[in-house]
Amino acid sequence: MTKYILRRLFYMIPVLMGVSLIIFLLFNLIAGDPTAVLLGKNATARQMAELREQLGLNKSLFAQYLDVLKSAFTFDFGRSWATKQEITYMIKQGAYPSLCLTIPAFVISTVLSLLISLVVAFYRGKGIDLFIRFMCIAGMSISALAYILAFQYFFAFKMGWFEISGFEYGFPDFIPYIALPAIIWILLSLGPDVRFFRTVILDEIYQDYVRTARAKGLSEISILLKHVLRNAMIPIITYVVIQIPYLILGALLLESFFSIPGLGGITLNALNSSDFPVIKAMAILSSVIYIVFSLVSDVLYTFADPRVKLK
Amino acid sequence: MKFASLCLIFALLVSGCSKEQNFDERELHLISLEKIFGFDPIHVSDRYSGNENGKVYEGLFEFHPLKRPYELVPNLAESLPTVSEDGLTYVFKLKKGVLFHDSPCFKDGIGRELIADDVIFSLKRLADPKLSAKGWWVLDGKVAGLNEWREKHAALESSNYEEEISGLKKIDSHSFQVTLTKPFPQFQYSLAMPYTFIVAKEAVTHFGKEFLNHPVGTGPFHLEKFEQGNQIIYTKNPKFREKFYPAEGAEGDDKLGLLADAGKRIPLVDRVVVDILPETQTQWLNFQKGKADLLELKSNYERAMDKKNEVHQELKSKGIRLFTDPMLDVTFFAFNYENPILKDRRVRQAMSLAYDRAEANKLFYNNSAFEAQSVIPPGLNGYRKEFKNPYTKLDLSQARKLLADAGYPNGKGLPEITVQTRSETVARQQIEHFAKCMEKIGIKVQAGMNTWPELIKKVTTKQHQLYTMAWGADYPDAENFLGLVFCPNQSPGSNGANYCNPDFDALFRQATILQDSPERTAFYEKMNEMVAIDVPWVFGFHRTEVNVTQAWLKNFKHMEFNHTQVQYLGVDLEVKKELSKKF
Repeated sequence: MTKYILRRLFYMIPVLMGVSLIIFLLFNLIAGDPTAVLLGKNATARQMAELREQLGLNKSLFAQYLDVLKSAFTFDFGRSWATKQEITYMIKQGAYPSLCLTIPAFVISTVLSLLISLVVAFYRGKGIDLFIRFMCIAGMSISALAYILAFQYFFAFKMGWFEISGFEYGFPDFIPYIALPAIIWILLSLGPDVRFFRTVILDEIYQDYVRTARAKGLSEISILLKHVLRNAMIPIITYVVIQIPYLILGALLLESFFSIPGLGGITLNALNSSDFPVIKAMAILSSVIYIVFSLVSDVLYTFADPRVKLK
Repeated sequence: MKFASLCLIFALLVSGCSKEQNFDERELHLISLEKIFGFDPIHVSDRYSGNENGKVYEGLFEFHPLKRPYELVPNLAESLPTVSEDGLTYVFKLKKGVLFHDSPCFKDGIGRELIADDVIFSLKRLADPKLSAKGWWVLDGKVAGLNEWREKHAALESSNYEEEISGLKKIDSHSFQVTLTKPFPQFQYSLAMPYTFIVAKEAVTHFGKEFLNHPVGTGPFHLEKFEQGNQIIYTKNPKFREKFYPAEGAEGDDKLGLLADAGKRIPLVDRVVVDILPETQTQWLNFQKGKADLLELKSNYERAMDKKNEVHQELKSKGIRLFTDPMLDVTFFAFNYENPILKDRRVRQAMSLAYDRAEANKLFYNNSAFEAQSVIPPGLNGYRKEFKNPYTKLDLSQARKLLADAGYPNGKGLPEITVQTRSETVARQQIEHFAKCMEKIGIKVQAGMNTWPELIKKVTTKQHQLYTMAWGADYPDAENFLGLVFCPNQSPGSNGANYCNPDFDALFRQATILQDSPERTAFYEKMNEMVAIDVPWVFGFHRTEVNVTQAWLKNFKHMEFNHTQVQYLGVDLEVKKELSKKF
């Protein structure tokens, strides 16, 4: 397994080179002129030319690409062109609020979805199954924005149960601020999660080994928890682990409406100001996290199903 | 059982941590509608960052918080400068005893006195080619020897601030002289802008690249906490010099209670908390809950005011007040003169005549904006209330006639025209409305939606037919608006229409070197009306700024250049305590 892990980590090199190249090409071909944006409404042609020189935009494209590659492999992203802040600091500052919101919300929504899925699988085809499926589809049909606006208005403003917005660093200070957005996250996740988990569990329920277990006299609950759930774990692990990178990258809408200074807004602000170092940092960070967690899911398969061997 | 216990603990944590209002400390709660770009004044180009910098830093001058039209008054300077007869030499004297904030950058951590060297250092920083200051344009080409110093150092490893510059001379510890390359009466206004706020050399050296997070100024507040996308907290500077609330204001200010604090030492509050809230719903809910003392409304005006532009009764019962004040700005659809079709004045005039401004005002500004007749907004010299641009009225038959004269009867033969704008809902709605108006004379218009960098790129590289934008005053002088149609400023400069009129340019050159006088005003009026007839833009609106304040907020008056306003604001704790029950 060690060899497999090392090999997968080695694959990170060409992937990062590819990602760097794509971001670099997109920035140079499509994005607006950063100097005009960075210097503001009174910028002169001369000032823009000077800034271009300082930012290294006058270098040959190859030399610029080498700079991008260097920062991708050293993780030294420098400073933001727009805010002049150190990018590593910006990411650290943003990752904490993002994770404070997304981790508890993600854990609770995943556990809750699994429990609900087991219940609906147990009562498949019956009233409760139909009701929950209906609720899932209804819930998914409503825009996330509608949930945010309505919940913020009723539960935070009208009822006063939660803070309307803001964030405090440190535990437990942040809890009042993330409670309502976390609830919204959970509600938004329940629909797709339950539908997916239910399908996976039902796929297993009709397998031969389940019939065998029933024939041996095992209880339905025992079959569900000990056998069906375990065998359904591989697609569930894939589905769950692949979502983890998005947790780190934040929840853009929730963070924006609840004024949580997370990572969600950093990329958007960078795009709006042609802040290439930040765009580059966020894209590379996303790729690395994605690669790492897809590797984690591979490793977890071996625990979920001992027949799986990583070679 | 365990799960239930966990839920209970979570609920207790949630409810137990909610913050109570503080009625013992004079604390202001403000909202910044946009993210703050740090505390290095030379890079502060947006209004919101300017307001935050204005709490910790100060400039030589500021605008009087109450008097209108805007009046420049001394701040760190002892008085307004003495200007030589040729308008080239300015002598400034600084107030004595002004101290920088205590900071580890100073010996023993104690802030030292402000001296003339600090001003010269701060102005040189603005010109330093290594720093690429956003505010360089305020000094570019204006101070003798400064451009040469900048050019010389652009090629060197580092900039030498010790090197003397002919136009920036220290006279003694508290006075200095600035020599301009040509008369530029607006120069004094530059010294009230955040770009020229005074910083301490020790702080810049000590904090290096982190200086923008560790401001050390002479202002009324210290920076206590700075979380860029979240919250900024300031505390009163205990060593702030003796500065008093003004005893005079504009006519009627006395009746409005704006002079009740006359003669009191400022700042009037001990602490300022600024929450950064970019979403309008979040801003509005926080304000309604009493968690913000003041809110500027950028859209959704109907939340606060009715069709008569009066505050809703429900808000009035809580003591909430509404302020609608004209802004020094102009919105426009700018044509690109390099486009052969749009270069034809008749086409531009026809499009201007077909634009239904009354409807646009109703749709987008709750009827609160003023229809622009040309580039200069009301409130500045050069704006004549009586002047009506013959091409800003809605006249479809004349528009059709002009279009036919230009060779495009009922728009036939004209290709579809793209108006470039920002990717925002309201911007798209405005283009859709514009397209509907143009359709009535047979011109097809489509929206080109862009991110801000894309839009800027199209305009600066002249790849547009029309684009929409708004321009806000940098200082209260019409030169700042007329420069938008001055030929040498064409793209990539601020003249995105690439309008060139030699007669206008000649007048501009003559007028902008004159001191404020009836002669200069006459020049401005002439230029303003000359541009109006040429229609380089479909003139839009001079917008109003809409603010709502809580009853306990004292001394609020709309200020276009409000970087130093917070020190004049106060909080009536008794009223706050009483009214807070209603929230």
